[in-house]
Order: sequence, then C-alpha cells, then structure tokens
Amino acid sequence: MDKLKKLEILSDAAKYDVSCSSSGSNRKNKKDGLGNTSTAGICHSWSDDGRCISLLKILLTNYCVYDCVYCVNRSSNDLPRAIFTPEEVVDLTINFYKRNYIEGLFLSSAVFKSPDYTMELILKVVKTLREKENFNGYIHTKTIPGADDLLVEEVGRYVDRMSVNIELPSENGLKLLAPKKTKKDILKPMGFIHNNILQTKEDKKIFKATPNFVPAGQTTQMIVGATEDNDLNILNLSESLYKTLNLKRVYYSAFIPVSTNPKLPVINSPPLVRENRIYQADWLLRFYNFEAKELLDERNPNFDLELDPKCNWALRNIHLFPVEINKADYKTLLRVPGIGVRSAKRIISARNFTTLDFFDLKKLGIVLKRAQHFITCKGKYFGFNDINPEIIRSQIITPYKNGKDTRQISMFDNVSFEDKWMEIGGEI
Amino acid sequence: MISYIYDGSFDGLLTSIYEAFYAKEKPTDIIREEDFRENFLVEKGYIKTDSEKARKVYSAIENKISPESLRRVFYAYLSELPDSGMIILRYLQVGFKIGSDVDLNLANEDVLNMDKISRLVGKERHRITGILRFKKIKEEILYARVEPDHNIIALVAPHFKERLKGENFIIHDTKREIGVFYNKKEWIVKDIERLDPFLVKDSEEIYEDLWRTYFKAISIQTKTNPKLQKRNMPMRYWKYLTEKNI
Repeated sequence: MDKLKKLEILSDAAKYDVSCSSSGSNRKNKKDGLGNTSTAGICHSWSDDGRCISLLKILLTNYCVYDCVYCVNRSSNDLPRAIFTPEEVVDLTINFYKRNYIEGLFLSSAVFKSPDYTMELILKVVKTLREKENFNGYIHTKTIPGADDLLVEEVGRYVDRMSVNIELPSENGLKLLAPKKTKKDILKPMGFIHNNILQTKEDKKIFKATPNFVPAGQTTQMIVGATEDNDLNILNLSESLYKTLNLKRVYYSAFIPVSTNPKLPVINSPPLVRENRIYQADWLLRFYNFEAKELLDERNPNFDLELDPKCNWALRNIHLFPVEINKADYKTLLRVPGIGVRSAKRIISARNFTTLDFFDLKKLGIVLKRAQHFITCKGKYFGFNDINPEIIRSQIITPYKNGKDTRQISMFDNVSFEDKWMEIGGEI
Repeated sequence: MISYIYDGSFDGLLTSIYEAFYAKEKPTDIIREEDFRENFLVEKGYIKTDSEKARKVYSAIENKISPESLRRVFYAYLSELPDSGMIILRYLQVGFKIGSDVDLNLANEDVLNMDKISRLVGKERHRITGILRFKKIKEEILYARVEPDHNIIALVAPHFKERLKGENFIIHDTKREIGVFYNKKEWIVKDIERLDPFLVKDSEEIYEDLWRTYFKAISIQTKTNPKLQKRNMPMRYWKYLTEKNI
C-alpha cells in the first residue's frame, strides 16, 4: 500500500480524538537539531470542521484486537486497515515539520497484537525522532491501556505530553460498551504518569540534569452522549481528575454514531450543544474558580442548553448581583456573566487610573450583552429597572432564538458566536 | 494644519516624534511618504531622517517609559496603518507623563488605541508562524511566500531561525517585495524585486500531496463548519496555503 493511502486511512481513523494542542512545553532546540516548542502552542491550519490543526495526528495502525462498540476501529467493523512502519511516521513528521505544516506529532494507535507490542512500536518512533533525527518539536503520544509500566516510563522520557483516554465517564458505561477496558486499566497508567511527573519535578530540584518526563503534562478525553451519564457525573469526574491527578486538560467529544449496535443510543445528530456547555463548565472549573457542585446538583444534573453555565449560575444566585465594577475584586468580576479572564484583568488595570463608567467598559472591548444585567458602574444599573431572573433570562436567550443573529452557525442552533469562540478564547 | 511626511523608516518616524515634541505647531498627521495624498488645506512638513534625534527618542522611550512601550511603538510602526504615526505620538505624550505604568491605563483613549494597534501586529505575527508554508526549491532551500497585512517578516524570522537552524530558508513578502534570507548562520532582510524563476519553479512534491490528503482526512464531515474555519483562518491568507490552494 502506498504512503498516501496509508495516511488517508490512519488520519481518518485518528480524527475523533479531540486533542490537538501543542502547548505547555518549552523544549529548546539543540545543536544541529530540528525544531522546538512554543509554550502557548501554535495552530497551523483549521480543517473544514473548523478545528485547529497543530499536530500530525495519526494512528500507527487501526488493526485492533478489541471490539469496543462505540469505536470506529473495533475489530468487527468492516473498514480499510493499514499500518505504518515507525520509519514512515518519522519521515512524515520531519518533512511536515520542515515545511511548517505542523508543530509536531500526536501518535496514537489501536491495539495491534498486544498492548506491549503496540507500545514498543510507539517507543521506536519517539526514540528515533529524538535520538536519531535530533527532533525537538512537540510530541504527544497515547499510552496503550494495559502496556507495561516500564514502556510507559521510557516513552514518557521522550515526549512532551501523554494521554490515556477515559472514553466513557462511568464504570457501567465501560462495561456496556468497552468490556475489555476496565476502570483500573485506565486509571492505573494515569496515576503512574502523574507520580512520575511529580517524582521528576522533585529530582530536578536536586539534579538539574534529570531527564524530562512528560513536561506538558497529561490529558484525557471522554465521549459525551453515548451512555446515560448526566452532566453532573461528567463534571464531577473532570473536577477530581484536575484535583487529584493534576491533568492539564480533559477533552470531551460529542458522541457521533459510528455503528448501529443496539447497546448504543439512537440519535440523529451529535449532541454538540451539550458538548459545548460541558466545555464551558470545564473552563469555569479551571480558570474561574468554580466548583462542580456550584454549577450542577442532584435536582439539576444537566446543563440548560439555552444558557451558558455561568449565566445559569448567576441567575440562580441573583442575590449576589449586581456588583460594582469599580469595587469588585478580581474573583468577583470573573463570576459576572460576559466578563472573562482578559476583561477582568483589563477592568482591574484601567480602574487604577479612573473610575469606569458604562462607556469605558465598551471602549475596553467588554461585551455587555450579558454583563449589563449583573453590574453597576458608579452605582448605576444599566439593565432593566428590576433585577428579575426571569426577565434577564428571556433577554439573554431571545436574540439566538428569533434568528436575528446573523453570525449564527446553522449547526449550532442555540449556540451564539461568542459561545463557540469561548471554547478557544475562554472568555465567558 | 501641518502634516509631517517621513521616509518610511523607523528612524524617520522617531525623528518626526522628536520634531513634534519641540515644535510650536503640533502636526495633525505623521505619514509615510508613499501614503501621502496631496491636499490643498494641508501644509507639508518634510522630515529629514536624523539618526541622532532618532536615537534620543529611542532611548527616552526605553528608559523613561519602558522596554515594553518601545516594543509597542515598534509594532505600531510595523502595522503600516495610515493613522499609526499619530497614534504613536499621542501615546508617547501620555507615556512620558505617566511613565512605566502607561500601558495599564486602558481607559485612556490614546493608550487604548496603541494597545489595539500593537496587538493587531502581534496577532498577525503569531498567526503567520502557524500558516506560513515552506516548499523545497532548488539547492535544498526552503522557500515561503506570504502576503501579511502588516510588515512582520522580520518579526517571525527569529522564530524560524531557532527552529530550522540547520536549513537554508527564504521568507518572501510578495506584497512589500522584501524577503528574509537565512543561511544556517544569520538572517537578513533584503529587497526582492524578482526572484530567479529557476529557483521558484513549482517542483514540490510528494509531501504537499500528503499534506493535502491529511488535511482532508482529519476533518469530521458531520461537523463541517466553513464559517468557523474562515473565522480562524481568514481567506486572505489562503493564497499561499498548500492545503487550500490546489
């Protein structure tokens, strides 16, 4: 099979993996080396679905010994299969990198022959790239659940980021859809990577020359909407992953039906709005000091699809508003719907020089559509006469409903342009 | 009404700033010679570039305001936007009053305008580090064409030098007819009126096909979203984009 055909099959098979980030590492180039990494990450292109392309994201092979129901590569699925040699992956990476197509490589794989065998192939790729080719660009690899710890550790010395996909947010979900994967199989390597990262950090304090171990940290991914799990379950899981295993990011992917197995739910289109709401909530956990239990509870275990999680929280806690823009501290400002991290910082910095009024906020580029209902400037309130959650709610959601918002993307009927942008910019 | 007209160099701009600070009648415009349009109402004040005056302004900004402020001024200059000269002048007037904290004073319109314009250039610099595409031409040279809104090729040169230190490369700004040339040791910016057609012959190549194949295969068809794609990667940059220019 020629390289072109292989690449087509094995990138097609990798596309459902959401992560494509190249951030978090500041690997320097070496003498006579090729490449380095940029801490903020760099997007090199955007595919037709609008997602950023930063890395060459491919599977080493899509031949799989497992038969997970939700997965497109399951062994019982009738589709073209291919396998790259490690040399081919190295060649593609180097030549794509030199032409500035990519920041580096994101290598994953189906389980070929055995977890250890597959992990050894991955090791061969990253070792060749780093040692033989002196390549210092970004490398992200998957660990194969069930692979030997020693292999995972060795790969970790060469790469910038590693990830183990949780896939389904509960043990029941796994039992139903991925019977060969257990919670233990997944959490064990995550814990192992976490401990190694901590250990390396400690060692570095004593010996500066301690080799790196996964300097950009680990991430994971789970599928939303393939099982009965509600948003509260998912968010609680993410929160504990951030807290206990110190994950850099949890990615979510709306379930796209790739088979008609009776164990899977029947849906017409992927739950993209729900996915978006969970991303927004995830952002609130990581950058806005929110806790999962503030956003959802047993009585309301799922997000309102018409309203972003922060607005929703604010309307349920309307007694905390309005806040005075010229007095509120940073943490309070961050909790105002429509004011993101950047806006809050700009407000804090500008008000050292002058008392801000409503027009100053506009000049600072702060989007007031939502914020106006929750703030005062110099004591003056700019929303309606009365702070009434019902009225505010109808004000905030109507523009999306009556179709006047021309920037709207038809696929995301309830999602505004700003909502979609948040995923990237994080201004909520 | 007097318009300062300078030669387009950074030194020329700084000289204009120097003159403006000491002039009785302040300029209403500071503009590059090539952007100037004759206007009956406007008096023309040609500024002769003076490297000594420029140096004074340069170090005054760096020392009395901040190195960050100097960076912003330089970025605003590279924006090549017609109103950049006056934005810089007004910003510096505030800057010399406030000092190193000037950039925090975002409620001030002049500071805000500077913030916007320098951010615009910084944003494009970052964007070009991603969407610039090299192709291998004769003599194993990596050659890229770009047409950025702002004059940023010298800003991206150090980035590529660090990454591709073992390669020879050329980054050709076809709009401004200038190019960054790197020879595995150092880079310079030179005028390019016409590149040897023998060199730019479109010989590439298997990797371009592979990249286009990858680009197509990595998209999820059920999520196709051209609007989002264009917002992230505006169409004006597609001209030299291997995957979009077939």
